[in-house]
Amino acid sequence: MPYGLISTAILLLPFAAALATPLIGRGNRRRTTWLMTGTAGVCLVLSALLFPAIADGTVLRQTFAWAPALGLDFTLRVDGLTWLFLVLVTGIGLLVGIYATWYMPREYPLVRFFSLLLGFMGAMLGIVLSGNVIQLVFFWELTSLFSFLLIGYWHHGKSARDAARTALIVTVTGGLCLLAGVLVLAHVAGSYDVDAILAAGDRIRTSPLYLPALLLILLGAFTKSAQVPFHFWLPQAMSAPTPVSAYLHSATMVKAGVFLLLRFWPVLAGTEAWFWIVGGVGLATMLTGAWAATFQHDMKAVLAYSTISHLGLITMLAGLGSTLGVVAAIFHTVNHATFKASLFMAAGAVDHETGTRDLRRLGGLRHVMPITATLAVIAGAAMAGVPLLNGFLSKEMFFAVALGANHGLGLDALTVLVAVAAAALGVTYSLRLVGGAFFGPLRHDFPREPHEPPRWMRFPIGLLALACLAVGIFPAWSVGPILRAAALSVLGAQLPAYNLAIWHGLTMPMLMSVIAFAAGCVLYIALRRRIAARDGTPLIDRIHAMYGFERVLAFLTSTLPDLFAKIFPGRKLQVQLLLVVVLAGVFGFLAVQPLPAPAVHGMQVDPAFALLWLLGVACAIGAATQAKFHRMAALILTAGTGLAVCITFVWLSAPDLAVTQLVVESVTTVLLLLGLRWLPKRIRGLAPRSRAARFRHIRDAVIALGVGVGLASLAYAVMNHLVADSASRFFLEQALPGGGGRNVVNVILVDFRALDTLGEITVLAIVALAVFALLWRFRPAAESIGSARQRGDVAPAQDKHALADQLAIPALLILMAAPLIALFALHLFLRGHDLPGGGFVAGITVTMTLVVLYMAAGARWVEARLKIAPVRWIGAGLLLAIATGLAAVALGKPFLTSYHGHWTVPVLGNVPLNSALLFDLGVFAVVSGASVLMLVVLAHQSLRRVMPAPDAPRDADEAGS
Amino acid sequence: MNGALAIAPILVPLAVAAVQLLLGIRLRGLRTGLSFLSCLALVAVAAMLMMSASRSEGAALVYNVGAWPARFAIVLVVDRLTALMLLLTAVLALMVLPYALGRWQRMGPHFQPLVQLLLVGYNGAFLTGDLFNLFVFFEVLLAASYGLALHGSGARRVGAGLHYIAINLTASMLFLVGVGLIFGVTGTLNMAVLAHLVPDLTGTPRALMHAGAALLGLAFLVKAAVWPVGFWLPRTYSAAIPPVAALFAAMTKLGIYVILRLSLLLFGADAGAASMHFGSEWLLWLGIITLAVGSIGMLGARELGKLAAYCVLVSSGTLLGAIALHIPAVTAGALAYLVVSVLGIAAFFLLAGLVVPREAPAGAAQLESYDPAVDALFAAEDERRVTSPAPVVILAACFLACGLLLAGLPPLSGFIAKFALLAPMLGHGRGATVLFALTIAAGLCTAIAMVRAGIQIFWADAEWEFPRVEPGETISVVSLLGICLVLTFIVAAPWNYLSATARQIHAPGHYIHAVMGQATETRP
Amino acid sequence: MEAVLAIAIGALAGSGVWLLLRPRTFQVIIGLTLISYAVNLFIFSVGGLRVGADPVLGAAADPSRYADPLPQALVLTAIVIGFATTALFLVVLLTSRGLAGNDHVDGQDGTP
Repeated sequence: MPYGLISTAILLLPFAAALATPLIGRGNRRRTTWLMTGTAGVCLVLSALLFPAIADGTVLRQTFAWAPALGLDFTLRVDGLTWLFLVLVTGIGLLVGIYATWYMPREYPLVRFFSLLLGFMGAMLGIVLSGNVIQLVFFWELTSLFSFLLIGYWHHGKSARDAARTALIVTVTGGLCLLAGVLVLAHVAGSYDVDAILAAGDRIRTSPLYLPALLLILLGAFTKSAQVPFHFWLPQAMSAPTPVSAYLHSATMVKAGVFLLLRFWPVLAGTEAWFWIVGGVGLATMLTGAWAATFQHDMKAVLAYSTISHLGLITMLAGLGSTLGVVAAIFHTVNHATFKASLFMAAGAVDHETGTRDLRRLGGLRHVMPITATLAVIAGAAMAGVPLLNGFLSKEMFFAVALGANHGLGLDALTVLVAVAAAALGVTYSLRLVGGAFFGPLRHDFPREPHEPPRWMRFPIGLLALACLAVGIFPAWSVGPILRAAALSVLGAQLPAYNLAIWHGLTMPMLMSVIAFAAGCVLYIALRRRIAARDGTPLIDRIHAMYGFERVLAFLTSTLPDLFAKIFPGRKLQVQLLLVVVLAGVFGFLAVQPLPAPAVHGMQVDPAFALLWLLGVACAIGAATQAKFHRMAALILTAGTGLAVCITFVWLSAPDLAVTQLVVESVTTVLLLLGLRWLPKRIRGLAPRSRAARFRHIRDAVIALGVGVGLASLAYAVMNHLVADSASRFFLEQALPGGGGRNVVNVILVDFRALDTLGEITVLAIVALAVFALLWRFRPAAESIGSARQRGDVAPAQDKHALADQLAIPALLILMAAPLIALFALHLFLRGHDLPGGGFVAGITVTMTLVVLYMAAGARWVEARLKIAPVRWIGAGLLLAIATGLAAVALGKPFLTSYHGHWTVPVLGNVPLNSALLFDLGVFAVVSGASVLMLVVLAHQSLRRVMPAPDAPRDADEAGS
Repeated sequence: MNGALAIAPILVPLAVAAVQLLLGIRLRGLRTGLSFLSCLALVAVAAMLMMSASRSEGAALVYNVGAWPARFAIVLVVDRLTALMLLLTAVLALMVLPYALGRWQRMGPHFQPLVQLLLVGYNGAFLTGDLFNLFVFFEVLLAASYGLALHGSGARRVGAGLHYIAINLTASMLFLVGVGLIFGVTGTLNMAVLAHLVPDLTGTPRALMHAGAALLGLAFLVKAAVWPVGFWLPRTYSAAIPPVAALFAAMTKLGIYVILRLSLLLFGADAGAASMHFGSEWLLWLGIITLAVGSIGMLGARELGKLAAYCVLVSSGTLLGAIALHIPAVTAGALAYLVVSVLGIAAFFLLAGLVVPREAPAGAAQLESYDPAVDALFAAEDERRVTSPAPVVILAACFLACGLLLAGLPPLSGFIAKFALLAPMLGHGRGATVLFALTIAAGLCTAIAMVRAGIQIFWADAEWEFPRVEPGETISVVSLLGICLVLTFIVAAPWNYLSATARQIHAPGHYIHAVMGQATETRP
Repeated sequence: MEAVLAIAIGALAGSGVWLLLRPRTFQVIIGLTLISYAVNLFIFSVGGLRVGADPVLGAAADPSRYADPLPQALVLTAIVIGFATTALFLVVLLTSRGLAGNDHVDGQDGTP
């Protein structure tokens, strides 16, 4: 059916045009204009075509699959209400487009502006076309976004920036609330589809989630429609270019909230909560807006506050819960859009011509720009509700609704009173606006010399003014069917009888109009001088919502975070580690339920073992106490503990571990010794121990004790509850037949779990690279260099300190010993598969050889004689390991599947010919490469002292490639 | 040959890194080319794995390294979740690579190999089905991350790196103790076998197993930077150079991944009454607190880098809370959110590196904090007719996109992801409701923080001096955001995959069976 | 025997943790070393304690004659990785000392 296509086209065209605008060329103003107005025009025509289809209350739906699994379909839904808004958005969009072309400064490319306007138009059309609440929220947020960008269009002014920021934050907050709201609503209704939700009215109103849903959705509507107390963003938004104010902030976007209220009126309205919240807020907004508008001096400010007031009026109409109220609300939405847009444009014209919008500086413009003046008078009269204009009719209807209300006598009286008061104020500010600008004596001190604005700038104003007249004089003919269709789509069967006539006879509403009009005029005469004299609005000046907003923002963006940072000093490492440790304790303790029962079976204690650990523990505690002031001692004590661990491994039948532990121990110690020299000297008693320090010590001691006890008991418990058959049995059985090795641990490492080993050597490689990267350009701190001399530390890599200079004989011995150690390494490597040893140990041993050489002869000597490129060793080793594994893949077996056999070589004895051996060779290469690289780079740190700086990159490259 | 496909994500980058090391630091062009090839290969492999995974019911393929039975040796398992994470990381790496080509990789030697090795760590951790092997690959990942975090050196990075390393070393210790405990009482390291054994555990062994799991969990929480053990993250990430920070965006998600995987495998629906949903209450509330803390931090952030880092915290918290709910639909939403947030945060980190003057340290753009200013209504307009130069417009657009993405606002996929995450949360108890509310609030905080930063940077003064932006850098950012834009409109297929993934991991029976099936057959 | 080892593990871990929480980088690194000793012993211990049962296959085929090799293999890997990371930490510590001018873990010499 074509209707679906039409609605789709209406939605897509603006977005397409928005994207096309920039492509059209920045300079070309004319084409941009045509694109904008053309798009709007086409959309308007298309919308018009839809009317016959929906006039009788039928709903057009067009659905596209979006995310069906999520229950999301992209549905375009057109009914009377939608159609009304379609026409508003596209029609006024068209006029604004024309107007903006002439309003915006000539030398200014309109690309960004029109592209944004078109984008907004698309988003707004998206809202009203949405047949799916998520889709509605989607476009809802988009309008907030575009309004933000348009308000901030002239972002070089601070006020524009602040206004944009405020508008965005307020509307986005509302949008997020709306999202939550519709999610709850859909949760209750069981669907995201608008029609399904509209059908589930009773279920929703009776659900316990009704109130939260209502509140959230209302928050969305109120923020968008600038209801008290969220109204403050709208006046601020007036720092946007006037076309934007006319389009977004009076005619369309701010009506989105109203649209939402009307859209869900059948589902949400009719409850106490609805009446009190919506009605109350609307009432307050209407009055506040009107009151504030009366006291503004900026024309746009007057219009902004009056917009707020009228939005409040519409909201209140929707809130009263009477069906006639709905009709009135819809009617007034249209009327307000027409006269307010034209007034904004008129104000813009004045600003454009005279260069000011300040009512105190304006006057008598009717002499210089009579046509604009006439149009402004008409529109202003419509705003004031003068008979024969559309404003009058909707006001009459409003009075009728107010009178018809029956929520208890006092309340009704209040409603009527407020209605009259607001209307009166409306008259006042209308008079002030039009009178102040166009009547009175002509002033001659304008920033610019005023004359009639260009024809095409007046045209849109005129057209809208004409609409005001048409609706005002022939309501039934001009707006009747539209209004009926829209009201029908909201109210359906319960559409009330109403009569769009200019003259109902001498009715109560008529009387109220007269009173209001008279009161308004009197008020204007009485107050005009006083208003002109004073700045700001009486009474509500002090409770300016804007300040509240700024304060909240300030609290959120500075007070709260600072406070938080004070509570959690997350920057300190000690605090973080403390938290980790304590949390570990807590987790562990809470998890162990029931607490394990101590079992007593196990080996009986060997006193020698106990003694060993007595020493070991003593060393550990000693290290803990000495680490601050006597680093050397602490290092030695730590090594002592390491030795105890090593012996334990031997004792408890883990020879491989013992060997590895030993070599790692020694290399680590060497590294630490190399590092020790760069740390600052620390003498006990320089810093007096404060009470805080003492407290920390006690606290940490307690924590340490807790962790110790915890881990000890865990260890004891687990040792007593070991599972009967672990995976290990399999390894012991398979090691020889499957892995071809007698040393099961080594077989596991290079065969069963070779992937672990691959990862492990990768870690080594990475660390070596990181160390190199960190140190290659690094110079030690100056002060530590000087003092390093006096320390007794071992400093292997300094030519000055090299043993060769001081004790020649030992140096010689070491030099001779070096090859032997290397040979031993080879032996360790080869036997690894059957006896303790293997690639890792061998690699470390080779490193030790190098260390010995460095100590004996000094770095320069060594590097002069043997070219070491450790990084290459690492790369080669990794490749070898991978290649070994891939060989199996080439044979169609999984990665790292091993092949093995044995062969005998003289001297070395029975050598396993084994793919695992190659893998182990890779391990060997990486390990030696990595550890050598680290040692070399560290050693070169000490060389740098005696070396001229420019040398550094060279030796870095030597080591690096 | 499928098997080789499973191991490829580990071997390709490893081999490439090795070759790059052999090439030495002078042939930079060749090294870069290799990196690109490897990333492309990874994307391709991951895509293939994803296809085969989406065809199969349980685990797509179980790969016994060394042809030893799965129960005893190391096994790699590929299911939908694994494939997803692999693809995500590969794409991320590929997108980030162009960014680093220029000035960034020259800040130190061996940048490219380190990135490759980082990928080895990622992929290994995603693939492995063995607890200790997981530890090993975690260490590979961490070691590489140490190297990269320190890339470029300088007091700020080294200071942050010191903390980062110290904390992660401590966490690794916890990891080891946990593994030890679990192995001690169950006698296996294979996750599937473990899941098979858990229901039969009783008394003390069960208690000890729980203790082990708790310590493991803590280790992963540290990696995921969850409050109160996540303070290291903002400093480390904001100190690292942008491309590195972008690559790290997936690292916290790895912690989340493992928690998701293990908690559903070991303590899922059929783990027996005593172990079911073990610790999920804790995870939920820790996640919620992390979310709140992250949001606050974001609001207070004075640098873009910090802002991005706090975004990471927020997403971590959201994800942790979401997966702790044990609701398949929410998990699916969480996965969608995970994908989007990784890409978005990465893009944001990259962008943060571009919009600050080059001479300033990365992310040092100072943002003003608001104070109750005097009412600035209708101040005289300063209508300077300045049109921004094109590159700045692009940057601004990207920034806007990042903001929308991270705040979960339309039209970018962040909105869809957030919707998918939030919608199923309703009606599942207090915790879920709190999480629901906070997630939305976090979106608002993000919006506030971003708009504030954006206005400050792009609107406040036209004189803001931007560095010369290299093409590669723009390409990276734009392409990352492009993916997110595409994901807004192409929703159906990805969503089906994700929801199927969620269903799969919530019913671990197939996974366990697939691995155990391999357990019986021994090597030929 | 188990009890002694358990106590030893506890003591090492305790003193390690105490050092871990100290403000000087050197103390932290020594602390980490001690903790890793404890952890290695812990993993080793979950294989059960055996005397004179090296997992190096001899004549006897009966698996129950040998100590559990798997924990030993794990510890081996753990030792190596621990060694690597400790080395890296040491270098970072030195660099930080050089750049920050002091050896406080937070880079600024505040409380001792």
